[in-house]
Amino acid sequence: MTRSTLSMFALALALGAPAALRAQDARLDSRLDARTREAVVTIIDSARGVGVPSEPLVQKALEGASKHADGARILTAVRMLARELGDARAALGAASSDAEVIAGASALHAGIAPAALSKMRASRARGSLTVALAVLSDLVARGVPGDTATTVISALTGAGAQDAELLRFQQGVERDIAQGATPAAALGVRAQGAFPAGAPRRTP
Amino acid sequence: MRQHDDTEDMSRDETLERVVQELRRPLRVNASLFDARVMDEVMRAPSGVGGRFESLLRPRTFRVSPLIALAAGMLFAVSIAGSILYVLPSRSRGAPSARGAQSEVARAVSGSPIVEFGFVAPHASSVALVGDFNNWDPKATPLRAASTGGVWSVEVPIQPGRHLYAFVVDGTVWRPDPAAPQATGEDFGEPNSALTVADPGMR
Repeated sequence: MTRSTLSMFALALALGAPAALRAQDARLDSRLDARTREAVVTIIDSARGVGVPSEPLVQKALEGASKHADGARILTAVRMLARELGDARAALGAASSDAEVIAGASALHAGIAPAALSKMRASRARGSLTVALAVLSDLVARGVPGDTATTVISALTGAGAQDAELLRFQQGVERDIAQGATPAAALGVRAQGAFPAGAPRRTP
Repeated sequence: MRQHDDTEDMSRDETLERVVQELRRPLRVNASLFDARVMDEVMRAPSGVGGRFESLLRPRTFRVSPLIALAAGMLFAVSIAGSILYVLPSRSRGAPSARGAQSEVARAVSGSPIVEFGFVAPHASSVALVGDFNNWDPKATPLRAASTGGVWSVEVPIQPGRHLYAFVVDGTVWRPDPAAPQATGEDFGEPNSALTVADPGMR
């Protein structure tokens, strides 16, 4: 390979790399100002480097743009989500799917502790935790105390509850809350229905 | 007087004979013309049912080429199959989409479950669905208005997982789905709704 050929190859790499980067985030080009876009792309690249799914970060930036948020606010939200995604990945394990990590980040955003995610993982070592984590997030969003919700959902998954059963459980709690029950009481009543023998079984 | 009577009797006999002969004379009838005239009279008579739509009730004979008949048959079969495919998911929708709701209804050909979104906005001129499945683009997924009641709806294939979404009314007003769980946190001042799409292939 001649020296001129090497030079051409290096030049092509130098020109090609930024082009590829821009192509990956083409959706951001028309929605964010240049400064915000560069900062968001940097966060996304860092997240990608540690195995965090990048699509939720792109979507968070696009959400901010559609809601006419300023650049600083968008960056704050994207940074926070990147941190939550990273924490969720760490708590759930490296083998977790992107969908599980995204649902785990939602749970963290709702106020669930990372240790609770690990507890959930232990309750269902095999099989997806996506729905279980989403149900947990939604219950907390409805006002159910996080530790109580974690205990009950972990017990349900540990007892072999299917995703459809978890969703039905959530709907029952939400219906009770809508009819006037306090969130904690609604969860307790539904949990008693799910575990007629008494308190939820402890997960191994 | 008796002679007179005899002459009169002979005259009556002749008259009677002519009448008998006339009645016995065979009548020539063109059968096809006769049938046509009879049917013409029957059709001309008021039926009491058809009235002005009588012509629509009158049976007709059509000549159709085999190719057109085959095409019509296939079209009929496709329409029947389409109706069945539409009706079955509709029955599995469960709760109606009034006042805003999303429900997983079927599994799309692409592999993503189809989710129906509904929103009630009687006075809106447009309603759009935005979320992390369509880049939060208000132009990407407009809802269609029902003919009455102000109910807007759309069906969208969505990947299994947890998603955030909202509705944009008249291009400017953001609204969460009142029938869905609200997501925690409002990063940008507008609340989102949460959607969980289960993967039928997983537990």
